Amino acid sequence: MISARLAWRNLGLHRKKSLIIGLIMGLGILILFVGNSLIDTTISGLRRMFVEGYTGDLMVTGPTEFSTTVLGETAGSEEVLPHIAQIKKYEDFLKSRQDVASILPILSGQASFGIGEEELGSGYCFGVNISDYRAFFPDNLTLMSGEWPEESDEPWVLLSEPTYALLQQSSNTEIKPGTKIIMTALANSAGTVIREVSVKGIIKFNQSNEQLAGITLVDADTMRDLLGFASLRDGAPKLSEHEAAFLTDFDPDSLFDDLFASQTIMTESEEQLELALEPSQVTAEIVPAWQFLLVRAKKGANTSKLLDELQVFSEQLGDGDRVQDWVAGAGKVARTAVTIRLVFDLLVAIIAVVVIMIMMNVLVISVNERLHEIGTLRAIGAKRHVVRSMILYETTFMALIAGAAGLILGFILLLIMGKVGIRAPNLFFEALFGGEILKPVISIGAAIRAFLWILAMALAASWYPTRVAVRIEPVVAMRGE
Amino acid sequence: MSDTIIKLDAVQKVYYLDTVEVEAIRDISLEIRAGDFVSIAGPSGSGKTTILNLIGCVDKPTSGTVIVNGQRTSDLDDDRLTELRHRSIGFIFQTFNLIPVLNIRENVELPLLLDGLSGSESKAEREKWVDFLIDSVGLKDRMLHKPAELSGGQRQRVAIARALVMKPAIVLADEPTANLDSATGESILRLMRKMNETFGTTFIFSTHDPDIVEEADHIIRLKDGIIVEDRRIVEDQDDKLGFRPSVRATSPEATSTGLNGIEATGTEGSQP
Repeated sequence: MISARLAWRNLGLHRKKSLIIGLIMGLGILILFVGNSLIDTTISGLRRMFVEGYTGDLMVTGPTEFSTTVLGETAGSEEVLPHIAQIKKYEDFLKSRQDVASILPILSGQASFGIGEEELGSGYCFGVNISDYRAFFPDNLTLMSGEWPEESDEPWVLLSEPTYALLQQSSNTEIKPGTKIIMTALANSAGTVIREVSVKGIIKFNQSNEQLAGITLVDADTMRDLLGFASLRDGAPKLSEHEAAFLTDFDPDSLFDDLFASQTIMTESEEQLELALEPSQVTAEIVPAWQFLLVRAKKGANTSKLLDELQVFSEQLGDGDRVQDWVAGAGKVARTAVTIRLVFDLLVAIIAVVVIMIMMNVLVISVNERLHEIGTLRAIGAKRHVVRSMILYETTFMALIAGAAGLILGFILLLIMGKVGIRAPNLFFEALFGGEILKPVISIGAAIRAFLWILAMALAASWYPTRVAVRIEPVVAMRGE
Repeated sequence: MSDTIIKLDAVQKVYYLDTVEVEAIRDISLEIRAGDFVSIAGPSGSGKTTILNLIGCVDKPTSGTVIVNGQRTSDLDDDRLTELRHRSIGFIFQTFNLIPVLNIRENVELPLLLDGLSGSESKAEREKWVDFLIDSVGLKDRMLHKPAELSGGQRQRVAIARALVMKPAIVLADEPTANLDSATGESILRLMRKMNETFGTTFIFSTHDPDIVEEADHIIRLKDGIIVEDRRIVEDQDDKLGFRPSVRATSPEATSTGLNGIEATGTEGSQP
């Protein structure tokens, strides 16, 4: 290929210009590679933390207009997230799919903790079936003390280490497994709900940030009560002996004895009402309330496709439930990381335009300095495509060389950063980094993206110079240099 | 060999410098026969280079007809003109116009490489031909040097070899000796003449040097864009001997392109 040979040799002949463009390209690829690697490391760290520890790949939430984090934070609303009315249909749909590994229903909300009359603090709580939760997130929980709750246990709570420390700091009583704690929450319809639970153990979330580390796990029915879903419990309320005795002896009709003592005839409609309120008929139709259904996709599954199809299924059900990915479920930290990537990409695009203009100018100057040479080539029989490919080869070679140099430098920089680590300057960055120090990982994807960017920029920059070059007429060769 | 290879008929070329029209040549009609050694002479600005540009298919006339090797140039698009230049015309430039990044061998070989090495000859045959040409111009020992390492005369020798490498029917040389000292200029002219005689290639060169003009066997003199003298030395000698060269109408291609009554000569005719 004579045009490739000419292009290669011309790079050497016009060293200064090649160096200018090469430096721009090399610097560009270095920034792209290192920047994208840092962002990739952050996002993949966040992704791993949330997907494997809190949200799964996707989640269905109860009907809401806005996306909701797994902590129950809904943008634009302070109200409790409604439950998923047709959760069984979602479960059946998801269990029938080949790309779904597992599902997990949970409840989420905030509650305050106290002992006796003493209020000690508040925090985020997940209402869960502990065995299902541990099966879904097998690597994220460590029991620090106490024991894992059993199905038959009385209402329980697993305090996270930071919450335990907070409560213990405020309390005069030693908090340990078996300690009774009062949980209070303000549910939508039920007003203030108070429930007594027993501390079953102290847990630690292996992957967490400051916010996630404080999550308390509560048995699902207690959480339902606290959220105002008491009528949608999985089981009957577990009453203390005193409560049970009170309810056994209590006759509600006695409250109205004075008022209706003379009325003894029951109407037909009242009979039907009583029949309708038969406990066996009512409880048979109750589906326990869950606000979230977390979905773990199988390894290698196309989660975007799964999200789309789940979305369609949800729309068919028509309840207004929301289907969202882990980013929405993770909340502002993950959204910030994704936004940083978008802003970075936007900045790169703006810089790319400027760089393309600079490169284009340098290349046009280079072409104009070689009018005679190109004219000679045309005169002795080079068709326009030969000239075109010569210019394109020149920019491609430069992109390859500068790209390789930028990538090698980037690899070295990332290796050093990976060893030393980047310390988070504040709590926000700590949340973003998933810890105090970010140790960037070399991202092959980032390297490929950076290289393709530079190649595209080089080709875009050579578009106009190529047009100038192919328009050079052979008659130019006949003019003196 | 007395067949016409180039014919210009009532050719005019006008250049536009902003809004000003400059008539470089007007009403030029001439014929050049295959195998001739032709000089186009005249002072600076007389239109020599314009005529070479038109014959070399690097420019088109404003009016009139230019027929090169049987093809009317105004009928051809850019690709076909490039093809015609590539196959039929070799160029020797006043400023040598060698490609600085290629060595001497590569410069000579360049037109063959533009062909994509798609000809019928093998690579070995082509290399042999390139070596032969470089040897013929006396630069065998400089084959791997870059143009910048050669003298002006040596560069022009390289240009001559490059002009001949495609075995063209015509070689155009625009002031080939203008940038050389007189001794080197004479040696270049002798080399061109030798090549003309050896390969039968038509050489057309422009010059304003009166000594060099007389070396040609067909002299065309220009002044202010018109021909003031068109003289074939050989024909003059033929006239003195009492006969004129015959003109035949045998080529359908020549007829179709308006070259009535004249046989066109293809590139094969200039094979060494």
